[in-house]
Amino acid sequence: MKNKKELRIGETHVEAVRSHFPGSIVDASWQGEEQLCITVKLDMLPDVVEFLYYGRGGWMPVMVGNDERSINGNYALYYVLSMEEEDPCFLTVRVEVPPEPGEYPSVTPRVPAAVWSEREVYDMFGLRAINIIDNRRLVLPDDWPEGLYPLRKDSMDYRHRPKIAADMETYEFLRETGDSETTVIPMGPLHITSDEPGHFRLFVEGETIVDADYRLFYVHRGMEKCAEQRLNYDAVTFFADRICGICGCAHSVAYAESVENAQGIVVPPRAQYIRSIVLEVERLHSHLLNLGLVCHYCGFDTGFNHFFRVREKSMDMAERITGHRKTYGLNLIGGVRRDILKEQAGTLQLVRELRTETQQLVEELLGTPNFDARTKGIGILDPKVARDYSPVGPTVRGSGFARDARYQHAFDGYKSLKDWKPKVQTGCDVQSRTLVRIEEFFDSLDMIEELLTNAPGGPILTEDWTYTPHKFGVAVTEAPRGEDVHWSMVGDNQKCYRWRAKAATYSNWPVLRSMFRGNTVSDAALIVGSIDPCYSCTDRVTVVDVKKQTSKVLTKDELEFYCRNRRRSPLMD
Amino acid sequence: MHTALEQVPERLQALPTKVELDEKVQKAKGALLNDIKRSVYLYRVDCGGCNACEIEIFATITPVFDAERFGIKNTPSPRHADILVYTGAVTRAMRLPAMRAYEAAPNPKLVVSYGACGCSGGIFHDNYCVWGGTDQILPVDVYIPGCPPSPAQTIYGFAMALGMLGQKLHHKETVEAPGELATLAYADIPYALRTEIEHEARLMSGYLQGRDLADDFLKAISSSQGSVLASVDGLIAGTDDPRRAEVYNDFKELLLGKVIG
Amino acid sequence: MLKTLVNALKTGNATTKYPAAPIDLPYGYRGKPEHNEKQCIACGACACACPPNAIQMTADEGAGTVTWNIHYGRCIFCGRCEEVCPFSAIKLGNEFELAVMAATDLDESSTYTLEPCAVCGKLFAPRKQIAYAEELLKNDSGITGEELDTALARLRVCPTCKRTLDAHTAQATSRVEGGR
Repeated sequence: MKNKKELRIGETHVEAVRSHFPGSIVDASWQGEEQLCITVKLDMLPDVVEFLYYGRGGWMPVMVGNDERSINGNYALYYVLSMEEEDPCFLTVRVEVPPEPGEYPSVTPRVPAAVWSEREVYDMFGLRAINIIDNRRLVLPDDWPEGLYPLRKDSMDYRHRPKIAADMETYEFLRETGDSETTVIPMGPLHITSDEPGHFRLFVEGETIVDADYRLFYVHRGMEKCAEQRLNYDAVTFFADRICGICGCAHSVAYAESVENAQGIVVPPRAQYIRSIVLEVERLHSHLLNLGLVCHYCGFDTGFNHFFRVREKSMDMAERITGHRKTYGLNLIGGVRRDILKEQAGTLQLVRELRTETQQLVEELLGTPNFDARTKGIGILDPKVARDYSPVGPTVRGSGFARDARYQHAFDGYKSLKDWKPKVQTGCDVQSRTLVRIEEFFDSLDMIEELLTNAPGGPILTEDWTYTPHKFGVAVTEAPRGEDVHWSMVGDNQKCYRWRAKAATYSNWPVLRSMFRGNTVSDAALIVGSIDPCYSCTDRVTVVDVKKQTSKVLTKDELEFYCRNRRRSPLMD
Repeated sequence: MHTALEQVPERLQALPTKVELDEKVQKAKGALLNDIKRSVYLYRVDCGGCNACEIEIFATITPVFDAERFGIKNTPSPRHADILVYTGAVTRAMRLPAMRAYEAAPNPKLVVSYGACGCSGGIFHDNYCVWGGTDQILPVDVYIPGCPPSPAQTIYGFAMALGMLGQKLHHKETVEAPGELATLAYADIPYALRTEIEHEARLMSGYLQGRDLADDFLKAISSSQGSVLASVDGLIAGTDDPRRAEVYNDFKELLLGKVIG
Repeated sequence: MLKTLVNALKTGNATTKYPAAPIDLPYGYRGKPEHNEKQCIACGACACACPPNAIQMTADEGAGTVTWNIHYGRCIFCGRCEEVCPFSAIKLGNEFELAVMAATDLDESSTYTLEPCAVCGKLFAPRKQIAYAEELLKNDSGITGEELDTALARLRVCPTCKRTLDAHTAQATSRVEGGR
């Protein structure tokens, strides 16, 4: 028996799984100091994952599928778990799925957080999750042909564009509306999209939302396949910058670090500090954006304009440090591309101005009578639902969980921060989430000052390594919306063998249904805004009245107007 | 230029059908610009971009840049639009909605391709779920490059489209002159030393500042007229930026190592 | 309410004067890449590094040329081309007013001559690249006399023929050394 002191990080979890499920572990290996992977027998998969999730303080950011037929003859699934109570680490539960019959026991009935990842694995690889309940297409558009699975190594070239399979949208929407009969509304040819793509369906009784569902992934572009076939490792950092225009840098850092973790590349300390500083600058602009939008939805448009005026200072900061207001292009594998000399450091003193001006605006916002009335008790995220679905960021911190990747899985310059803890509120409503963002904003200003003052000297880039094919690793960053988790397996031809980029909002969407229930239609836009999705996604909302059996299609602006002004209900005929 | 599509065999590449304009509409467009110069209604269609373009358009209509000074107004419905602004590379899922928006806007109208993705598909130009730039499905009148275009670039783009400012960028082709040679920089410094300093500069301060710092250092050596070390020390003493001094010292160590070693 | 009014009055006019006045750009602003075609040796490093393939190199064997070409509509203004160019022949400048009416105005190209291999006659490298290497060998390599002459001759041989020549040399050497 090993002495407790000699156990590696994460080993207590491995021992626990061994003692609860003898014979289940086929292999256990460490990819880094704080990341490990256990391969278990296929039929034991749901048991082991459920045990680690609920029984040992695990949360599930993502599950990654990989076509490893050319390496070991099978597909592999990697259930990445973030262990956040005793013995914190990243523990991945891996199984190998034989190509015939291409099925595996679904984890979703036991751990709801796996639902999206399993649906996506079916879209991309054609692997069926037995008993998954919800097996609708997730990622691929309606006009994609059946039977063509993009991420299989032998299915297609990354540029292949199949003929349009269907001219109508064919997505089926879920609803749990009890005994009432409802009418199904097809999304007809005259569906006009105005804002960011995303379609919502609210099922209502009068003004109260009974249930809701939505269709997303209109922005699916096929990035992961492109990274496998066209881009080399360094080019993917620029690609990752453009996964999301608001929190792209977090993705770029997470990707670079996943490769660096997989290969054991040690990034110079100064580069680590610079990465953290730029990530915090990104957080500043994103939170000010969200606060501006909250003002807008509460009908306080003056506030919206003032917040955006102040936000320009953070965009200025970014431009002076990285050369561009957005899409910073900061990272390469092994470090960063730009240094912080005296002139750039001077720019960061803009924090002082930002601090005073934002404090003033926040006082105004919190003092506005509208704000309290509109945000208190709205859009409640029940902590139990949160525990089931693993949401991230201010969304989960507003419900009492102190989950923050900068704290639980401290990386880069954050490791050196003294006396910092994630900001938490317990109200579980829109107001709590907004308050969390406000507190985080001021935290970011403090962090930037501290990191700048303490940044070490030395190089900002290292070239001191060689690539070992097929080694994989995971990395996490805390984007303004929550944790981004990237998983990559390095190939043997200067390109990734597999790259999985999980954005923060991916984990937050599934809880939106439960946040909608019981609220009124006029609050729908505000609730969506409070999870601060990576894009504003109410384009057109179909409101189906369950009792009256009528339906009406609202435009985004009708909905938003109602949300802000609380009169002229679009549901009155 | 957009050769990616040609490389994949025909049978694997379905192309979307593009909207063609008829003559009458073309003529009306020309007249339109004159009429709407100071009062333009704009409608934005996101075809599947990363959203950076959306946020920059937001920033353009907010106080610091204020596009409304020029009479440019964002309208919530395509039926009132004079100009349609398409952002993002057209994804498969967004092709139909983008077409519907185009059809809903009454003729004559102008189409603006916004951002690298709108102009040509950008970095996603050949991904399987993307058709490419807006001009793969619609006729485009103005291209505004940028990734994302800053608010100033946006204002310039619209001002140019409305005839208020002239176009600056034009097609350019050059051919090598006979006997043309690239000039060698710092010809008096040994090649091996120069490249080592430039390499170290990149590792220390990146491609931009590193190159500038290396240039400072190489100029100091090159023009030293006698004591190289005195020149270098003068450079180090002459800066009030501790980080610059650290990097110059690092180069000095390298130089000493090569000269002595 | 009052606080907001006071704040608004205090802030005053926050709007920029652009385009009536030029806009303030910081050091290292990533504007349009400026290609210095005279300094360029057509090595293709920028084309390899460009993430969206906005820069492409196309050879025309019939004309004996290779054309460097950039499409600004695809450019993401990342600066990788500037980062990898050994000659600083492409640098991101401050030009940001890039909107155009026709897509062809977004294209820029420079054509360079290719040189044929001295042994097999196939076009294999840009003339300017070979000329640069020649100058380095003559002025900066430290080798002289016969060794320099051999090196200069080898410069104009394509990689395939170089491999063949190396094989012949190795064979000859081994015969001299007794077939080992």
